[in-house]
Amino acid sequence: MFFFTYLRRELRRRMRQAVFTALGLALGIGLVITVIGASSGVKAAQAKVLQALYGIGTDVTVTTKPKAPSGQRTSGQAVGAPLSGSSGGPRAEICLNGKCYTSGTVDTLVPANVGALSQSEVAQIARLHDVSAAAGGLALTDNRITLPSASNPNIQPPTSFTVDGTDISHPRLGPLSNARLTSGRAFTAADAHSDVALVDASYAASHNLELGSTTTVAGTKFTIIGLLSQPQASSPPDIYIPLARAQGLASDPATGKSMKAMVDTVYVTAASAADITAVQHEISRLLPQATVTSSADLASEITGSAASAAKLAGALGKWLAVLVLIAAFAVASLLTMAAVARRVPEFGTLKALGWRSSRIVGQVLGESVGTGILGGVVGVGLGFAGVAIIDKIAPRLSASVPSASGAFGTPQTITGPGGVSSGSVIGAPAASHTTISVPMSASVTIGAIVLAVLLAVAGGLLAGSFGGWRAARLRPAAALARVA
Amino acid sequence: MDLSIGTSGDIYQLAGVSKTYRKSGRDILAVRELDLDIRTGEWLAVQGKTGHGKTTLLQLLGGLDRPTRGRVAFSGQDLAAAPETQVRKVRASSFGFIFQTFNLVPTLTAHENVEAALIPLGVHHADRHARVRAALDSVGLGDRAQHLPGELSGGQQQRVAIARALVKEPKVLLADEPTGNLDEDTRDEIIALLDTLWRERRLTLVLVSHDSSVVRRAQRIGVMSRGRLSIRQDTRA
Repeated sequence: MFFFTYLRRELRRRMRQAVFTALGLALGIGLVITVIGASSGVKAAQAKVLQALYGIGTDVTVTTKPKAPSGQRTSGQAVGAPLSGSSGGPRAEICLNGKCYTSGTVDTLVPANVGALSQSEVAQIARLHDVSAAAGGLALTDNRITLPSASNPNIQPPTSFTVDGTDISHPRLGPLSNARLTSGRAFTAADAHSDVALVDASYAASHNLELGSTTTVAGTKFTIIGLLSQPQASSPPDIYIPLARAQGLASDPATGKSMKAMVDTVYVTAASAADITAVQHEISRLLPQATVTSSADLASEITGSAASAAKLAGALGKWLAVLVLIAAFAVASLLTMAAVARRVPEFGTLKALGWRSSRIVGQVLGESVGTGILGGVVGVGLGFAGVAIIDKIAPRLSASVPSASGAFGTPQTITGPGGVSSGSVIGAPAASHTTISVPMSASVTIGAIVLAVLLAVAGGLLAGSFGGWRAARLRPAAALARVA
Repeated sequence: MDLSIGTSGDIYQLAGVSKTYRKSGRDILAVRELDLDIRTGEWLAVQGKTGHGKTTLLQLLGGLDRPTRGRVAFSGQDLAAAPETQVRKVRASSFGFIFQTFNLVPTLTAHENVEAALIPLGVHHADRHARVRAALDSVGLGDRAQHLPGELSGGQQQRVAIARALVKEPKVLLADEPTGNLDEDTRDEIIALLDTLWRERRLTLVLVSHDSSVVRRAQRIGVMSRGRLSIRQDTRA
């Protein structure tokens, strides 16, 4: 076809200019792809953070504020006498929930400092119009203190580990949904009231726990039926037990009452992604005192290098790419106009031969779009290279996120006769943020490539439009006069 | 709008044609009050010094420019008043141009340069190629069809330009200093070729040149001076 023959030959004649223009466009397009790749990498890292906290299937979590401690001795505060290393001297004493201990091991299972919700409220949430599923969960800490005795007068360092009470009828909701079973089996419906546990593989390895062995939670032996691994970015619970058993063993440190039929977090899946906001509103109306958080809310509260990288990619990267693109488009347009200026006699001759202005404009557009497509192809290559470089050099990103269900651990002190100063703290007060380190992995998406091709064509069309407009305006006589 | 002026044996009827250019803030009268009839099949040569309006006259005849005043009737159609689309169609089908600097597209082969003249006529691909080959053969360049202009001599390039002008089988051949860039021998060859083609094809040929040896073959010779045309020789039957 004559159009393509002419186009090909013209591009070949102006090879250096075409390559220069294409490289300019390629730089802009490559930068756009790199920024999109980096941005999607950061978003993926953020999603990993949120997944680690929420679980894959959770759209919304519901929590309530913790009740203020009563201030009474029976509410979990401990007051003790001075410690003594010799028999007959002052003895250590720990008081929990109105009960004081002076010897033996005290093993308690307490929730994080998040207020409790009832199981019936979970059921109410599950019945809401836009809710697909809702499951309660209990994030607990098992604190174990061995008091000094006559045979062992030295105070033992307290130990603690985290326990998740899991609604085994909804395995796709909550922290367990992220986990991958590495050995053994998962919970079944028959396990709802059994003393069985799934244990995080790392925790099991560090505490010499094996599949089939037992581990003690709140003084009760649980058989380990499976070992799990969680995503690298997460800070998973150490042990998972059926929710009903967790509720039975845990007690509210504020009231000393059992946590039976109570949960501290409700994990909710909306009927569709579009319904998440509606679900938030419905739950807020149902439970005005509750804190309803979506993953989007949590994402906006992410701080740390992940958030900084997101801002960098979103703001600086985006504008840098836009500026480079504008510059590339401007250079391409100027070069095309300059090329048209040099070809005025040629276009004048074609007009003298009877060529329509639109045909000449089409020829100029075709040439510049051809250059644009060349720039697009090279730009995609540059984009892949940019993303590969980011992948190679990008550091791990840290993300600090407000804890959706509070942190594990509750304040308890062990005191001796000397007062609080002589005691030690078991489980620091719950932290309000969780910091997670995540790898950043940028990638080129199909969408980015499509965008690149569109930008290349748009850049070519823009450049060609200016040149074509100039060619179309030429009067044949004036154009031919340039020859002389 | 009826643009026809009435037909006769004259292919061109120019009446009261003036063309004024504005250059550096001054009006320049390139052609003034020109009345001219050109018969079908006539060879008219126009002589004159540079800047006296020869090329402007040729551009008015070829529909490349419009007069400031007056009528340029071609086959009864006033090119001065016709819409550009119509003038373009007339250019595409009826006029063949030959320029001093050949005006070949440097990236296209001789074959493709000649083919470019058939593009606006919408001639079918296969027919186009046959006509291009015939046109190149008629100017003796059948064996140079795939050569680029840069690979051809000046005379050969002008032959390609003549083939491009003839391939559409025009009614009128408008030649602007066709030998201006050629040596004497080549000049004579090109003029001989034009003479032959004019006779064989019964073309109307309007040739502008300042070279007396070129214009003397014409039937009628006019001289342009300060925008006015005066006929010096008329050997028409």
